[in-house]
Amino acid sequence: MKKVLLGLIFLTGSVFAHTAIMSCFDNGDNTITCEGGFSDGSSASGVIFYVLKDGKKVFESKMTEDSEVTFDKPEGDYEAVFSAGEGHSVHVKSSDITE
Amino acid sequence: MLQKSMIKISSKKILVGSALLAGLTTGAFAHFQLLYTPDTALSKGKTIELREVFTHPFADEHTMDMGKQHDSKELKSVEEFYVINKGKKTDLKSTLKGITFTGQHNSGKAYASQYKAQRMGDHILILQPAPYYEANEDAYIQQITKSIINVAGTPTDWDSDLGLKAEIVPLTKPYAIWEGGSFTGIVKSKGKPVPYAEIEVEYLNRDIDIKNNKTGKSYVEAPQDAFVTMGIKADKDGEFTFTLPRAGFWGFAALGVGNDKTYKGKELSQDAVIWVEAKPMR
Repeated sequence: MKKVLLGLIFLTGSVFAHTAIMSCFDNGDNTITCEGGFSDGSSASGVIFYVLKDGKKVFESKMTEDSEVTFDKPEGDYEAVFSAGEGHSVHVKSSDITE
Repeated sequence: MLQKSMIKISSKKILVGSALLAGLTTGAFAHFQLLYTPDTALSKGKTIELREVFTHPFADEHTMDMGKQHDSKELKSVEEFYVINKGKKTDLKSTLKGITFTGQHNSGKAYASQYKAQRMGDHILILQPAPYYEANEDAYIQQITKSIINVAGTPTDWDSDLGLKAEIVPLTKPYAIWEGGSFTGIVKSKGKPVPYAEIEVEYLNRDIDIKNNKTGKSYVEAPQDAFVTMGIKADKDGEFTFTLPRAGFWGFAALGVGNDKTYKGKELSQDAVIWVEAKPMR
């Protein structure tokens, strides 16, 4: 029981001690690159990433080894989402993505 | 007639006096290689303006011509200028454009450049100017300068030990310090700590007008000269901590810690400089 409690405490600590961060830029060739990460510097490799357009997923992938994803730029407004679990998702609007 | 010659003598005395004073003033305050950008903590990637100026950040009483030599009127160009992001080094020397930068008392030859800080994380900018001939001391000064900017808040490279000849390796993120917070660093030479290194600390006491390449009005006044250039020392492990009492940019220069001790047959002080920014709490 003690072990379980300790384990829980550690898990909680590691989950809430850092913030999920994502930054995206336009490559100027009709593709967008989004980089994911955490405030403690840990890797975002394997974290789920998707693109929302009119509330629908139009692209879904996982962050690469380098903690980034490149996708074709959708037409019109869209939203890039870095989904690292509850309380840890970051939304970036297309209007905030520049070259 | 007598009166005239008396006036002559006294004006000569005044001239000699002010020349001495000017000499003292120049010698008393520290030279600092500025590697300036207005904001070191960027919310997202963007192209930033940089100014590379050899100056006295607090008193701004003299702007030096970068790369000045004792044996030639021609200024020597910058030896190295590059950036490191996520371990990847990119040469930036070709981005440097020669400018004339105007301080409160004179103008000096400096550089301006732009850098596309697009990717997330830390961008370590390193500037190694050519040694500068300081006639007052008949010696050269070369300040290997580090400025670190961050995009979006993810730490990546800031604490890297680059193994430079003269380097201050931060133990505090230099872009994430509240005003009133402290900065800790280790003075190193090629990766080895320099015990009891002598460090000069100065506050960048002026607005840097990026558009017109000049300094603006000063922010604060020093109660005494010891507050203009503050001398501190590293401990036995080369480590030091300094509390930043005011928001803005603070420069740290570890003097003569580099491997190179002479240049063109003259004494060389190869210094390590790092710039740190404290943000206002409001």
